[in-house]
This record gives sequence, structure tokens and C-alpha cells, in this order.
Amino acid sequence: MTDARAGQSDRSPSALGALTPSTERRRIPDASLYVILVAIVVLMTAVNPERFPTLSNLQSMLSQLPILAFLSIGMMISMLSGGINLAIVSTANFTGIITALMLRALTAGDSASATLGVTAVAMLAGVAGCMLVGAFMGWLVAYVEVPAILATLGVTTLLDGVNVVLTRGYTISNFPDALLAIGNGMTFGVPTPFLMLLVVVVLLHFLLNRMPFGFRLYMLGSNPIAAKFSNINTRAVLMGDYVLSSAFSALTAFVMMGQLNSVKANYAQSYVLVAVLACFLGGVDPFGGAGRLSGMILAVIILQIISSGVNLLRVDPFFVTAMWGAIILVLIAVNHFTGRWREGRRLARMHGPGAPEGAPTARPSATEPNSSPRGERVR
Amino acid sequence: MSAVARARGGAPIKRLLKRNEFYLAALILVLCVSITAANPSFLTLENVLSFLKTSSVNGILAVGVLFVLILGGTPDVSFTAIAQVVEYVVVMATLRWGGDIPLALLGACALGAVMGSVNGFIIHYFRVTTIVVTIATLNVYFGMLYVLTGGNVIFVVHPMFKQFASILLFPMRSANGAVYGLSLMPVMWLAVLVVGWFILRHTFLGRAIFAMGGNEVAAQRIGVNTLWTRVFVFSFVGLLSGVAAIVHTAIVLSAIPNIIVGHELEVIAAVVLGGASLFGGKGTIIGTFLGVLLFAVLKNGLVLLNFSSYWYDVTIGIAITVGITVSAYQQQRAERSRVNVKVEAVAAQ
Repeated sequence: MTDARAGQSDRSPSALGALTPSTERRRIPDASLYVILVAIVVLMTAVNPERFPTLSNLQSMLSQLPILAFLSIGMMISMLSGGINLAIVSTANFTGIITALMLRALTAGDSASATLGVTAVAMLAGVAGCMLVGAFMGWLVAYVEVPAILATLGVTTLLDGVNVVLTRGYTISNFPDALLAIGNGMTFGVPTPFLMLLVVVVLLHFLLNRMPFGFRLYMLGSNPIAAKFSNINTRAVLMGDYVLSSAFSALTAFVMMGQLNSVKANYAQSYVLVAVLACFLGGVDPFGGAGRLSGMILAVIILQIISSGVNLLRVDPFFVTAMWGAIILVLIAVNHFTGRWREGRRLARMHGPGAPEGAPTARPSATEPNSSPRGERVR
Repeated sequence: MSAVARARGGAPIKRLLKRNEFYLAALILVLCVSITAANPSFLTLENVLSFLKTSSVNGILAVGVLFVLILGGTPDVSFTAIAQVVEYVVVMATLRWGGDIPLALLGACALGAVMGSVNGFIIHYFRVTTIVVTIATLNVYFGMLYVLTGGNVIFVVHPMFKQFASILLFPMRSANGAVYGLSLMPVMWLAVLVVGWFILRHTFLGRAIFAMGGNEVAAQRIGVNTLWTRVFVFSFVGLLSGVAAIVHTAIVLSAIPNIIVGHELEVIAAVVLGGASLFGGKGTIIGTFLGVLLFAVLKNGLVLLNFSSYWYDVTIGIAITVGITVSAYQQQRAERSRVNVKVEAVAAQ
């Protein structure tokens, strides 16, 4: 998935970065992620040679991957516009609950016996609810100009409440086979949700990288004012962005319903954080305009391998929580130091080997607190 | 509207009408009146003191959040995990070695400040957004707490906490004979508010925090030590988390490893409703107090109006959404009128 905007997305918002000519050689996109991926696979295989490199583990990882991937892509889409969608998990639960309640209402209580048509109608109702939530968030962000983090935070709290009210805090379970097949089915030995993910990723790749909407979205994210003056209806794009982001919550919801055979108000709450982590690892700029689908997918795969591998070792799940945090911190440090190293090498090439100015050891922040070596780490 | 007509009359009222705090106070007043109309037991001294006591934990944490928001950037979310860890450590330590409340408070503050300062250093040296760093530290602190303690609940705390909680200033006797009065928790909240107000309004440090929130480069140019100002703010958040941990222990008289974590959004929402800007450089102590008070009134009112607890989150969600919508709308209008004034000024020349 090489895309046309790979070069553009490596932009640097700081004044200093924009003025310095780019003498850097073209790097392979996501090179560091491939390295991490290989390292993680080797490490996990070495630590757990009996259970990690097996077909059943691969299948289980492939079937678990889509939930995290859909949520992370939803998060990424919101970040591309410079916002954030903290409501992805709540929206997914909301979608699931609407679908489950519709199923129960349409089949007079016996959800498992629902025909294909009824199931489809219920799922459509769920999608409609989800779109409504997305449109509402988009409206708040685009038209009322509420900061995205606040708007989605408010909607998260609201939806969590609505979810609890709708379910009375209970778990709703027992779904028809059609729905279960989405989560657990196998097609040619490959888990169905993974095939779904593949299809969706290809479609999304075309939407983001080959269609006007994607181009406008990246433009809006990198410079909203310039986008506006380029005759882009920024509000409409922003609104579409949040609806699209929420659509991935709906996909998550159906996979989750299929796999767990139940819905509840507070499922998967911790995934919001992991989705943010995946975006961060995948090189998505939280200030918008930069971030490639390929990096994102690699990051999700890496996180899934870590999570599955650690689970196989039977460690405390809260240790995994602590580990997610530690990984973010390590990534921050690694990004910082490699950024400095690259900057130093670039400066060295510009000024010749003996250049004392701007040597890699010089603290870049000493005089210009906001011009970090790589633009994306500006606070 | 008569309010608009009055606003034209005098400058002070006009200024008041522009304040976020005014609308917040008015909203709280309307809520109080309507809840009292439905259930007269709401606006009794006993009830007010009781909900001030229960909301003092969030109130104390909110002051820390206010400092971070004024400093600029995204909000801190790790303060609940810090409070949680400190609570657990203090409860365990006092059970083992004894001690008294001032000593426990001192230890809690010190531990909290150290844990908070880690955020400050990471943010300064690695130049990452606050929310990313604090999400990470939240998970590290919270995860490690669970791993190290096994997630066990401590049901019995050192008796000094119970003694502390039972201290009542101005003890009174209610109609049915129960003793009530002003307990020390709201007093500590008030003390924190006063300290926060003093730092923000009357010290160079406070000026520096506002300056950094407005424009960090400019602040550095006029001689603000951005490293230490930032580290101070995050240590202060940690310190207040320590205070909140002691207050929380005194209220619930147990240590449950997941009872404070998860409330961070509620606290942030209260501060934002209180008028603090997510873009930094803006926010007041009184607004923060009113924001927390609004949530406390809502929570208490729902209970007294016999709403099922399911509705609590919905109401809070609506309150947050409406609050941010209104304040964003006001800001939008203020910006437009500013642009208009500029256009008029240009046209007049």
C-alpha cells in the first residue's frame, strides 16, 4: 500500500522544519515498523517455541486482529483531520446494543431464531444508530467548532449512560447464526472477520488515497485554513470524517457480537487506549494530515502479536495494561532519539562533516522549544 | 430578555454576563431551585454538607487538572492512577507502621508529587503531548498497582482515618437526632482552592503558568523557566492527587484498587465546564469550583428525585455535551464579533 501522499505526509509544521531544504534520502516507508514486527515475532517464538508459532495460534490471532484493527482505523480516520474520536468503543457498544434490542423486538424475545432478513434489518438499525452518533459528533466538531477531544468525550459519557439505560446494565446474548458467523466463521481456513478486514482495508485505501474525499481529508488535516481557501467544504469533509470513523465502530460491533455472542454496556473499554497507541505506533500524526494505512495496519499487527504472545505466557492481564503504557513511553523515547540522530545526520550532510553547529548532541529545544527535530512532536 | 436590557445599563453587569462562571452559577441556582421544589430535603444544610463532602475528592483533583489545562496542551489523565496508587500505599503503610494523619498526608503528597513530576520531565524532554504521556503513565501506574497487589481490596484501614472522618466542625443535630456538621474533607478542598487561587493570581509562578499556556516560546523569551514551571505543575497535580487520596480514604474507609481510576473524564469535564480552555492560558479557580459543584448538584439531585442510578451517566453526558456546545458557540460568536470590530476599525480609517 504505497500511496501518493507518503512524501507529503512527512511534513513538518515547525517553521524551522519548513525552511530547511530536505536533503534526506527517500526512506522505505514504515521501515522501522517492519524491523519491530520481525523482532517481535522472533522474540515471541524464542520465548514460547511450543505454542506461539502454531497454525491454531495464527488463526486465533487473525480472528482477534479485526476488532483492534477496525477500532484503530476508526481512530486513525478521526486523527487524520486533526481530531480524535474517543467514542469509538462506546459507539461500537451502542451499535451492538441497538442491534440486539432490535433483534429481540423483531423476534419476540427469541433472538437466536431470527431469519437472515430480520438479522439484516436489525443490523441496519444498528448501523443507522451508529451513523447518527457519528453525524452528531461531526456536527459538534465541524459546525459548533467544539474541540474534537471534548465533543467525543461528551458523546462517550452520554453513550455510556444510554447504553446502561438501554440494557439496564445486563448482558444481552443469544444471537442468530448469521451474526455468529461474522465473528467466528472460517472461510477456506481463514477467519471470516479477517477477510472482512482485508476487503475493508482495500476499499479504505482507495477512499483515502485515490478518491477526492481522501485527498480533501489529508489537506484539511495538514492545514484547515489552506484547505478552506482551496474551495474545500471543510465542514462537510469533517462531518464525513466522523461518520466514517463511526462506521468502523459498527464493523467492530458486529465482529464483537459474533465472537462474544453477547453485548454489554461496557465491553472493550480499554481498547480506546490501545487504539490511540496503535495510531501512535503507526505514525499517525495526532495533529492531522499525516498517517498511512499501511503503517497503521503494521502497528495493529505488532500490538496483536504482543498481546497474543504475552497471553500465551499466562501473565497477569494487568501486567499487559502496564506494558501498553511502558511501550508508549519507550516509543516516545525512541522516536525522540532517532529523530535527533536523523536531524544530526541531515545537518552534518548540509554543513559538511566538521560542522560544529547543530551537532546531534546539541539540544534542539534549547532555543526553539517548539521546533523539535521531527515536526510531529510539537506539543 | 430583561437580562439583556439590564446588561446595557451598567458596565459591571455587562462584564459579568460575559463570564462563563455567571452562567454556571445561574444554572446551578436554577437546578437547586427546581430540585428543592420537587424534594425540599435537597436544600437543607445537612444535605449540602453531605454532598460537599462526597465531591471534595473530585474537587481537589479538579484544581490540579485546572493547572494542567492553563499550562496548555491536552489534559492530564494520569492523576486518578496517581491518587489510586498513593491511596493504596498509604493505607498499607499506615496499617503496618501506624502514624497519624498529618504524617500520612505528608507522605501522600510527597509520593504523589514524585509520580506527577515524572510526567513533567517526560513531556519536557521528549516533547510529546500531555495526553499521550499521561495515558501511558496511567496504565503503567494502574497496571503495576494491580500486578503488585493482586487487585485485593483492603477493607480495614487504620482507625485514624475513621477518627479523622468523624471530626465535625460546628456539630449540629438534625430533626431525627442524627449528628451532622462540617467535616474536614470540604475544609481541605477549600484550602486547596485557596492555595490554587493564590498561586495562580499572586505569584510569579502563576503568571508563568498562564504565560506558558498563552505562548510557550514567548514565555521562554521573557525568562520563564519552562522546565521547572512544567515540572511544578505536574508535581502539583500529583501532590493534589495525594491529598485527594487521603480524603478519599477517609470517606470510603477502605482501599479498592479501581475505585478512583475511571473518573478522570468526569473531573476534566467539570473543569472544562468551569471555563478552562483546552488551548491553554485560560481558566479560573471559581469556575472549576462551580463546575465540580454542578456535577455534585446533578448527582445528588438525581438521587433525591428517585431517578435510577442508570440515568446518572446520561445526565452527566448531556450536561457535558450541552456545556461544551454552549461555550464553543459563545467563543465562535466572540471571535466573529472581534473580527467585525477589526473590519469596522479598518473601514473607519
